[in-house]
Amino acid sequence: MMDGILLGAATAFSMYNILMVIIGCFAGTFIGMIPGLGPISAIALMIPITYGMDPSSGLILISGVYYGAIFGGSTSSILINAPGVAGTVATSFDGYPMAQKGQAGKALAIAAYASFSGGTIAAIFLLFAAPALASVSLSFQSSDYFALMVLGLTAVAAFAGKGKFLKAAIMTIFGLMLATVGTDSDSGIARFTFGRMDLIDGISFLLLAMAAFALSEALMNVLENHKVSKQEEDELKKDIGTLKLTKQEVKEIIPTIGRSSVLGFFVGVLPGAGATIASFLAYGMERSFASAKDKLGFGKGSLKGLAAPESANNAACTGSFVPLLTLGIPGSGTTAIILGALLSYGIQPGPTMYIDNPALFWSVIISMYVGNFVLLVLNLPLIPYIAKLLAVPKQLLLPLIMFFSLVGVYLVTFNNFDIYMMTTFAVVALFLRIVDFPMAPMILGFILGGMMEDNLRRALTISDGSISFLWERPITLSILVLTVVLLLMPLISEFLAKMKKRKES
Amino acid sequence: MTKNRIGSLFFLAFSTFYFYRVFSIKKMPGNQFEIMTASTFPFYIAITGIAISIILLILSFIEKDQAKLSLQYIKSLDLKTTLYFIMAMFFYGFTMKAWGFIISTAVFLAIGFLILKEKSLKKILIISISVSVGFYLLLNNVMGVYIDAGDLIDNLVGAIS
Repeated sequence: MMDGILLGAATAFSMYNILMVIIGCFAGTFIGMIPGLGPISAIALMIPITYGMDPSSGLILISGVYYGAIFGGSTSSILINAPGVAGTVATSFDGYPMAQKGQAGKALAIAAYASFSGGTIAAIFLLFAAPALASVSLSFQSSDYFALMVLGLTAVAAFAGKGKFLKAAIMTIFGLMLATVGTDSDSGIARFTFGRMDLIDGISFLLLAMAAFALSEALMNVLENHKVSKQEEDELKKDIGTLKLTKQEVKEIIPTIGRSSVLGFFVGVLPGAGATIASFLAYGMERSFASAKDKLGFGKGSLKGLAAPESANNAACTGSFVPLLTLGIPGSGTTAIILGALLSYGIQPGPTMYIDNPALFWSVIISMYVGNFVLLVLNLPLIPYIAKLLAVPKQLLLPLIMFFSLVGVYLVTFNNFDIYMMTTFAVVALFLRIVDFPMAPMILGFILGGMMEDNLRRALTISDGSISFLWERPITLSILVLTVVLLLMPLISEFLAKMKKRKES
Repeated sequence: MTKNRIGSLFFLAFSTFYFYRVFSIKKMPGNQFEIMTASTFPFYIAITGIAISIILLILSFIEKDQAKLSLQYIKSLDLKTTLYFIMAMFFYGFTMKAWGFIISTAVFLAIGFLILKEKSLKKILIISISVSVGFYLLLNNVMGVYIDAGDLIDNLVGAIS
């Protein structure tokens, strides 16, 4: 293994490949910032360019693009509340409020540091544990995945403040309902399409996320029409580009980054789970760990709330390379595209890849570390300039946000029905915002809905229609027990607090 | 009325409608032997949705000190401008195919700036035209994502060349 690592390091650190990482990170960041063009589009755009290259260099370029696009997606999430990729939805929960408070630069810097740390920690894990982890990920069955989806949905508890659990739960159900629109993946029967061909493929994630976050936020700004005095505006913009973090703030986020990176990596290893579940789970976990006082800050610009999903999504991206490189199983849409690229180079990923193609296997893993470093070095100096975007006057910025949101969705299908549907959803989201119903659980329900139904169907089929699959497998049972504990935790802590109060009085 | 009551009524209506639509999902021959059909999952989430909305509605009557949607707040909202924007977005969707990307985008942005009372006509024209043309060129010529410029522009470019 050591020989392989050294060979990989020699390949990854060649001038040409370092240049490829830099180009990949830069192009990925730029493309990822445009709503509608996520990592899949970014990688797909790069594949033809890599055809003439050596497979190692091609894959290194693609990995750089992947990381860059995820980071770029975080930038638009933080600055304009437009998460173009599912993995960066959780980033907007605290990143955007920070930007609104005039701390856009700080939020982007935390995102950069957290992404770097998450990616680096995961790359180290990948370096030493890839082959062993592959067999673990393979042992996961549909019942375990179903339980994992249920666990993911309990992250709604993280978005539900005191007395808001039912609101979060109904929004999750709303997301699950929207996820059922379109053709049923198993039987091919159309559901809730009202006879319209435009709905046959269902509702796209991007459309819903853009409508629920970016577009409804822009409309809310117009609707509430807060008049900010020149003095207040100057005060808000004073520190907009500053990257400075105090020692206390750094101390606060270090444990969060560590925990979330480890969690993100392991969730990323599981095929199908990926960066989205990882980021939501990390956010939920951090909120559970936070003190009662810190909990109140979540959703209002908490540093931990930003660092957790950012470290987790990058770590999960690295983790998703485990099943791809060691088993040849793409765990997500993005890694499926990468698998396509590998096959086009004539390389079949699988258990013997690190023996047959050590230079390629290890150089990609090492270049992930280099890529994370490059991403940090490349983006930190640019942050003050990127953050200045928010200094654009409101009367110019809001129509531009609406344009980028609408066109980002239109670019995917070139169907103007999507613009109508998106506007309608934005109006519904606006109404729900006014009556204080949270948007995040809806997105989570929507993302997990399809996967949850598929895995439930498979698990039920395997167990011949019996629900005994819920307790027969130890992995499933453990995940479900964890879910119950997470669900009961707010109730238990409330009960304990009441007991303490009673004792004191 | 409290915000929770309004929200729960909305979801109760939505879940009930969804539940009603579950029965219009087509059934395949031999469906009775299937463990899970296309309507099984929607059926259960519809029931859960109705149940949670009812609980939320009942709680909105029982629990005191809930946030209310006051008339004062509604009066403070700029409903007219918001409505203009919603109409502008529908209009943008409608003109996208007919006028093509460049013209419809430039018009949408210009309308947006005007709705928000941007006074400088020079700024409005420069930004709306440069963003639409710049984005079009970036996508078509740099990223290889083809967007139809629109018949009008195509004819104009054709006539010039």
